[in-house]
Amino acid sequence: MTNIYKPHIAKVVEIKVETGDIKSFKFQFVDPAAQKAFTWKAGQFLILNIFGVGEAVFTFANPQTRNEYIECSIRKVGLVSEAIHELEVGDSVGIRGPYGNWFPFEKWHGKNLLYVAGGVGLAALRSPIEFALDNKQDFKNITILYGARSPLDLCYKDKFSDWETIKDTQMILTADKGSEGWKHKVGFVPAVLKEVHPSPKDTVAIICGPPIMIKFVLKELLDLGFTPEQIVTTLEMKMKCGLGKCGRCNVKHLYICKDGPVFTYAELKDLPDEY
Amino acid sequence: MTYLISKENINALLTSLLAAKTVYAPKKDAEETVLFGKLGSAAEWHGASLLTHTTAKDKVYLQSESLFKIKKGKDGVQIEEPAEPEEIVIFGCRPCDARGFDVINKLFNWSNFVDEYYTKRMEKTTVITISCEKPESTCFCTSFAKGGPVNETGSDLLLTPQKDGNYFAEAVSEKGKKVVSENSKLFSEAPVNALQEKADFKTAAETKIVKKLDLAAIKKLMEPAFEAAYWDTVHLPCVKCGACTYVCPTCYCFDITEKAFDNLNSERVRNWDTCMSEIFTRMAGGVNPRTDTKKRFRQRFMHKFNYHVDNFKEELCTGCGRCIKACPVSIDIRKVIEGIK
Repeated sequence: MTNIYKPHIAKVVEIKVETGDIKSFKFQFVDPAAQKAFTWKAGQFLILNIFGVGEAVFTFANPQTRNEYIECSIRKVGLVSEAIHELEVGDSVGIRGPYGNWFPFEKWHGKNLLYVAGGVGLAALRSPIEFALDNKQDFKNITILYGARSPLDLCYKDKFSDWETIKDTQMILTADKGSEGWKHKVGFVPAVLKEVHPSPKDTVAIICGPPIMIKFVLKELLDLGFTPEQIVTTLEMKMKCGLGKCGRCNVKHLYICKDGPVFTYAELKDLPDEY
Repeated sequence: MTYLISKENINALLTSLLAAKTVYAPKKDAEETVLFGKLGSAAEWHGASLLTHTTAKDKVYLQSESLFKIKKGKDGVQIEEPAEPEEIVIFGCRPCDARGFDVINKLFNWSNFVDEYYTKRMEKTTVITISCEKPESTCFCTSFAKGGPVNETGSDLLLTPQKDGNYFAEAVSEKGKKVVSENSKLFSEAPVNALQEKADFKTAAETKIVKKLDLAAIKKLMEPAFEAAYWDTVHLPCVKCGACTYVCPTCYCFDITEKAFDNLNSERVRNWDTCMSEIFTRMAGGVNPRTDTKKRFRQRFMHKFNYHVDNFKEELCTGCGRCIKACPVSIDIRKVIEGIK
């Protein structure tokens, strides 16, 4: 038997401030062999241990195609994330996982991918975006529509130029309110989506953001002719174990930690309004 | 494998078990409450009560369990796992409690993840059960496919009292057979009429159980009743104390927290938790999909009699009726699910 609650010991190797309350951390296992053996798929999550404080769930920000380290982008909202924001390069943390299901890219070969993200929601979509970009030959056009409250609240600003240089990849940025020098769109994500008017033909829409954004993006996508099966998102729930045992993320017969977090809108429609 | 063990030899069996292992059995505490306690001698066993105040669940699935200790030092972080669990005997539990182990065993082992803390302790636990002669008005074990006052599910050795005061003993598992073989002098061959006597005992005990629920029909009613107005009022008396989950032999939900001793030393701890608590599903930042009592109350019943059945083909309940006794506002689990419309 292996101890499913015991984390790997890792060290912080890089810290980057993304926005006022979001920082990105790169972690590397102390044991290089364990780091090499640790693989995941875009969409899965991990449980980060801050020794002396506790554990919390975060999504992988980097894809499995760039796995020399593990990266998480973390907003300061709770006990553990506050402690994470205090971390310095060289500090030790624990990592266990990977947990949950993943984005079913193998089913999407030959399709267009439309990513729609709001705020820190891009952290959950960066790994599937970069996975698709690293395997661009398998997909057609990739469109990334990303918005935040203000230009200052956009994550991964340094990544955008790299992403855009990849063939048939388009970035559309928007801010709820613009600022001086802002050359991109101004307006809420759903409104910009309507204006961009993507075709649902051979396209999968992958969305992540605050609940209010999701609600209106869903409406726009359905109006554009996307079917519920063509819309995919990732859920956030309170979790403690990540293993389908602690009972917190139970919705209907599902445990979001092991049956999710990735669901199509068709699957979510059957769930009660408890997520 | 069936045997007979005399009334006198039961005490001798307990003494023999005590010499080798830690034995937990119904025992009166300082306030005369009957609980599963560590026996010092066979005489401390209190077999007269039907049900202990709480279950024996906490002997295998600890209410608070250290997952590991963490030491931060110059050489990095050391994780120190706890010692292997000791062999224990749970003596004199009832079929509903024994079956509770069978129900949660599956949960701690599903989805390719084996919880070694629970599983190792269960492997080292021998469950000796005594059939129920006098079920109480709160008992409803016969509503379950595998339930009943003489049911052996989850037991290693099942003892059913006979009219003459002796016990008909059935070794249900290898661990049960080992108890018999290691104490062979105390057991004799089962008399020819033993099975008939057990059948009579079963019939007599089952007639004392006043309520039998049609759980398959109730599940069918539950599925479309999620949004039913029924939930708007049925939860109102609930004071969210969580006593029902605390005394339940099958409630398994837990929390994982950290106990920090100082800047360098801490302990990762798993604690029982309750779905009746507001913070159970509240995320960092404050978002909570089950904000009010109605939602949490509904979740408890839906989970036990609907969702869990979808995953495990059995209810997350054994019909022990402890939640009915423990509830400070007299909420009766049977009435709640029977009233669903």
